[in-house]
This record gives sequence, C-alpha cells and structure tokens, in this order.
Amino acid sequence: MTQTFDPGTRTEAPVRADELTALRGFLDYHRDTFRWKCAGLTQDQLARALSPSTMTLGGMMKHLALVEVGWFCNAMLDEPYPPPFDDVDWDADPDWEWHTAQHDDPVELRALYDDCVRQADAAIDRSLAQGGLDAPSVRKDRQDGGPYALRWVMLHMIEEYARHNGHADLIRESIDGETGE
Amino acid sequence: MSEAQVFDPESRVDPPLHGDEVATLRAFLDYHRDTLRWKCSGLTQEQLAVQHPPSDMTLGGIMKHIALVESYWFEVTFAGGVYLPPFDPVPWAEDDYDYEFRTAKDDTPQQLFDLFDEAVRRADAVVDGALAEGGLESESARVGRRTGSTFSLRWILVHMIEEYCRHNGHADLIRESIDGQKGE
Repeated sequence: MTQTFDPGTRTEAPVRADELTALRGFLDYHRDTFRWKCAGLTQDQLARALSPSTMTLGGMMKHLALVEVGWFCNAMLDEPYPPPFDDVDWDADPDWEWHTAQHDDPVELRALYDDCVRQADAAIDRSLAQGGLDAPSVRKDRQDGGPYALRWVMLHMIEEYARHNGHADLIRESIDGETGE
Repeated sequence: MSEAQVFDPESRVDPPLHGDEVATLRAFLDYHRDTLRWKCSGLTQEQLAVQHPPSDMTLGGIMKHIALVESYWFEVTFAGGVYLPPFDPVPWAEDDYDYEFRTAKDDTPQQLFDLFDEAVRRADAVVDGALAEGGLESESARVGRRTGSTFSLRWILVHMIEEYCRHNGHADLIRESIDGQKGE
C-alpha cells in the first residue's frame, strides 16, 4: 500500500487576505505539497536517500509530524507529545524519527502525520483564542529566555516545510523522476 | 580565473521571536537571503555550475534565478516597473523558461553575487516605499498571469520567504554534494 494525494486538491494561499488567513493558507499549501511529494511510493522508496545526504522522504514525514506537535502543542501550550513521540529515548538517538521511519508502513506513517497536523491545527486555534498571532508560547526560547509569538512559530513552520520540500523535490526526482512545484 | 565570494553565516541575524508583522516578515526574508549567500560562499565558478543528478539545478543558477524572482515580484509586479539589467530588455525567448538557470555558468561568482545584491537592494527599496505609503495591504500594480487579480504586499513577502526556503532546500543538497558542507 502507498500513500495517495492528488496535487490538484492543493489550495493556493489567498493573494489578498488578512495576516492569519495568509499564514494558514501558506502553511496548508506546503503541508499538501509535502503529502504530494511522498504520494505513490513504496516503503522501500520512502527509505531511499540521495547520497551524500542521508535524508529520506519517510524520515522527513515522521520528522515533520514531530515538529508540528513540537511547536504548536508542546512549545506554544506546554502540552505533552502524543504517541509514539512521548516514549522515545531521545538521549539514545536525537534523530530517532529519521532513523525509525524505514520500519513504518507508508499508510500508517501518513496516518501519524495527518493526526499530528490535526492536533497542531486544534492547538493553533487554542493559541489564537488566547491572544491572536501575538499569543506568547508557554515554553521559552533557550537562548533568548523569552517566549515565541504564534506569528513567529507560524512563519518558522512555513520556512521549515518549504526548506524540506526543497529537499523532497530532489529526493523524489532521484526516486522516480517526478518533478514539480 | 574567478575569485570565490565569501559570506560568513555568523553574520546572519535571527528573526525576532516576538516582533510585529512587518519586522517579522522582513527579518525572515533577510535571513534566507543570507542563507543562500552562505550556501554559495567559497565556491569557484566551476563549482557553482555543478549539478546534483538527476536534477539539473546549480547553485549559480539558483542565485541568478532568485535575482530575477526578486525583480519580478517587487519591481515588475508590485511596482509596475521593469526588470533590473541584464533582464531588461528581456533576453530570453518566449518559450525559454530556463534562461537564467542555463546562463549562470557563464557568470563569475563576483558577477552573480553583485547581481543578487543589486536585485535585493532594489526589492528592498520597493518594499520601503510601499510600507511608507500603504502597508502590507497595498496591492500590486500588475495582476497575476493565472489569477488575473492583484497581490497584496503581504502575499508577495510570504511567497518570497517560501521561494527562498524551497531553493535553499535544493541548495542544501547540492552544496553537500559539492564539498560536504551542511547546515541550516
């Protein structure tokens, strides 16, 4: 079984919109772009790297699932990580999600990712209710000592996705020749 | 022979964690402009023309492409002006979509960095002027080819951030394949 996603269902961010609508639009667009880059591939294909880089599309999907709940649920609201991330020995392997994705069935991996995105969106709604895009994170930045504004986290997630989608472009092209924005 | 250009990644400025909308957007854009400068830093003209197969993209091509994109969105689309040289008058044929990617190998690192820096300077001048007059809701002078509608300055700024990040993702893998250098 492989993951499915129809790129025709992606919705472009609205060209004239308020700040929040624009940011959520760009974030959703990149989430869907990433789903598309991973669609139609077998477990073996999702575990393939473009040497010398060691990144894989499967590892990236598990990483982005972690990053979604890490920023929106844990950093913004201090909520615990959901399974399977709550039970990981991160000291033993700081890159656990990248390394273990090769053992995950593609459909189960996508279900984990989609579930983390749903939890992240619900967490965004809760943060917005507390202070809009200026809402401060509960957890503080280790260097700066201050909170992150939800605005910063939204833009950081857009940059995180777009950067990884750039990696995904080249990895996907090396797997089966598929290209496209 | 052409001298490699050098950019120190330590000179990048992290975007403010709790800035207002304009300060945050501009800081993210500047951060990624500098990230691309760093990814292209210290390489010869030949290295900037190296591909990472099967993709045919190159770091020099990305830098020239981004210079064109800066000019396209800020000077041409938003302000209704013309491209910066050497893109005015337009040197490519109507069906030649890869002109800037293809011709970057003929440019020295100095020429590519100078073009890039000039495109960024001109783009920032457009943004400064637009913010002084109407803010992020200001609409572009020209309409989109596909949508037929104008773009807000807000949309263009966020789009440029994603454009840079996507290409910096490409640059990450291409650079690692050239000399092993990695890093966010």
